[in-house]
Amino acid sequence: MDNIYKPFNVKIVDIIEETPDTRTFKLEIIDKLLKDNFTFKAGQFAEYSVYGEGECTFCIASSPTRLDYLECSFKEAGKVTTAMRKLNVGDTMGLRGPYGNYFPLEEMEGKNVLFIAGGIGLAPVRCVIWNVLDLKERFKDITIVYGARSVADLVYKNELESWKQMEGVKTIVTVDPGGETSDWKGEIGFVPAIVEKIAPSGDNTVAIICGPPIMIKYTFPVLEKLGFTEDNMITTLENRMKCGLGKCGRCNVGNVYVCKDGPVFTYKQIKLLPDEF
Amino acid sequence: MKEVLISYNTIKETVAKLLNKEWNVITPSPDGIRYTAITSSDEINLAGDQRPTNISVKEFFFPKTDPVFYFKKNQSEVELIDAVLNDKKNLFLGIKPCDAAGIPVLDKIFNWDYKDEFFNSRVNNSVIIGLACSYSDPQCFCTSVNLSPDSTKGSDLFLIPVDNSGFRLQVITEKGSAFLKEFGALEETSGPAHPKNSTVPDKKFDYDKVKNWLDNNFQSDFWKGKGELCLGCAQCAFVCPVCHCFDIIDESCGYECGRRVKNWDACQFGLFTKHASGHNPRNDQSKRYRQRINHKFKYYDDKFGEILCTGCGRCSRDCVAGIDIGEILAEINTF
Repeated sequence: MDNIYKPFNVKIVDIIEETPDTRTFKLEIIDKLLKDNFTFKAGQFAEYSVYGEGECTFCIASSPTRLDYLECSFKEAGKVTTAMRKLNVGDTMGLRGPYGNYFPLEEMEGKNVLFIAGGIGLAPVRCVIWNVLDLKERFKDITIVYGARSVADLVYKNELESWKQMEGVKTIVTVDPGGETSDWKGEIGFVPAIVEKIAPSGDNTVAIICGPPIMIKYTFPVLEKLGFTEDNMITTLENRMKCGLGKCGRCNVGNVYVCKDGPVFTYKQIKLLPDEF
Repeated sequence: MKEVLISYNTIKETVAKLLNKEWNVITPSPDGIRYTAITSSDEINLAGDQRPTNISVKEFFFPKTDPVFYFKKNQSEVELIDAVLNDKKNLFLGIKPCDAAGIPVLDKIFNWDYKDEFFNSRVNNSVIIGLACSYSDPQCFCTSVNLSPDSTKGSDLFLIPVDNSGFRLQVITEKGSAFLKEFGALEETSGPAHPKNSTVPDKKFDYDKVKNWLDNNFQSDFWKGKGELCLGCAQCAFVCPVCHCFDIIDESCGYECGRRVKNWDACQFGLFTKHASGHNPRNDQSKRYRQRINHKFKYYDDKFGEILCTGCGRCSRDCVAGIDIGEILAEINTF
């Protein structure tokens, strides 16, 4: 019997402590045949299992251009993520996926790309960032705006540094007012305000946005003022999901299931949804 | 449609044959609470005038708790063991039309993309014999949602009482036809027209009118009054033949083994949509109640072309807070 709820096993091969409450796991699919055939597109998510504790929904944070490993980043927030914090390199987890739709990379080719992320919301965006950077010649100017509550809360700190060094990539990092350290050299301000400050033009540019719902809600009007079209503002809704397959009803918003019709949505599509996400 | 006359005794004999062959035979229990498997052909219940059971037949196809696999841990390795489903054949005898109709409605969500074989294998192993209904109370509204007391939707075979000892048996599906071939030696015949059911519920509302209002009034203050009554106990979802939201959780038996199960869940619970961050898109009962009505009478229809309700009235009969869904829809109908 084909069991759509059964995961395949993955091994934790590396753990990176991003912040006091956030970690990145590097996972390897155990079954060789599955591993060789596994593929996904930027924006898709998976259901990660800690056997005995349950399943949790995270985006796949690594790029589909690098399929040796899969990465997920998570913040310790509930039952399963607390259990994940107790796992070690060598432990077995489960994975179901990839699920959901994905960012329209092909349609973004030949355009400028503006990445906007807040807090742990950088995880799904990071997947697209590396996907774009690995195929850099297909895109024009790349801008990354990332912010977190404080310096300690910034994730992927090493990668932020490497993006800053890259040619053709403009990287701006900000922390909320009050979150800066005495030697902080980046911006200070909420992400939507910083986007307004650097004022990138919406002309021939696609914006990819992810972060806390309130950050997304305040960023859209800023981008509209800068001339971004509704189809060129793309976000990913990290709703509460469970089955990932459009059956359990948890992520049903209006006529859509976030796990099937999303999680990637354009601003145009978001405007059609009832305000319930 | 092929139709035969069948006596009560023939049905009893057939049931005895099936029980001997290790079939499950399931009918409404005499106490009216749920559908139960019987152990003798004396226990069959073909009372079409009985109130719908408190709990629908859904639990046989979509159980309250459904193990999806088991796991065994050994150091840092984990072995997954498939859940094996009972492959006994089931005969559902004397099912209310408002229950049988739920099965094709549930089929949409469980098969629209990924196929849920837990649901499918149970349906495939079952033959549904519906029974025309002669019960009606103020909570019934099957006729308002495109059904009726003699609707054959979801049934493989359908019984209509003719007199005290017999029924007209209608063959609805191939599966029903195959079942008759295997177990019945019946003559095709034309008999007297069956008496009109005098207890057909009046239409409580015009569905198209209600749907049109739902399409355009998401932000209405109407929901505030209704939601405040609701306790969020979710009985309505649990007794319903077509509500299908579920949770997936792990249960451990000690450190080294356990199972993953699907459990009934409901959008009426406060935690249903709460994010780990604490953000809850439906953070009060009015929003949750609005979701119930919108999902059942708008979203499911928009997406799958089926109303997620069979008008059985169970949720209204058993609501502790006295919320009557038919009355709410009738009120919307007046706007």
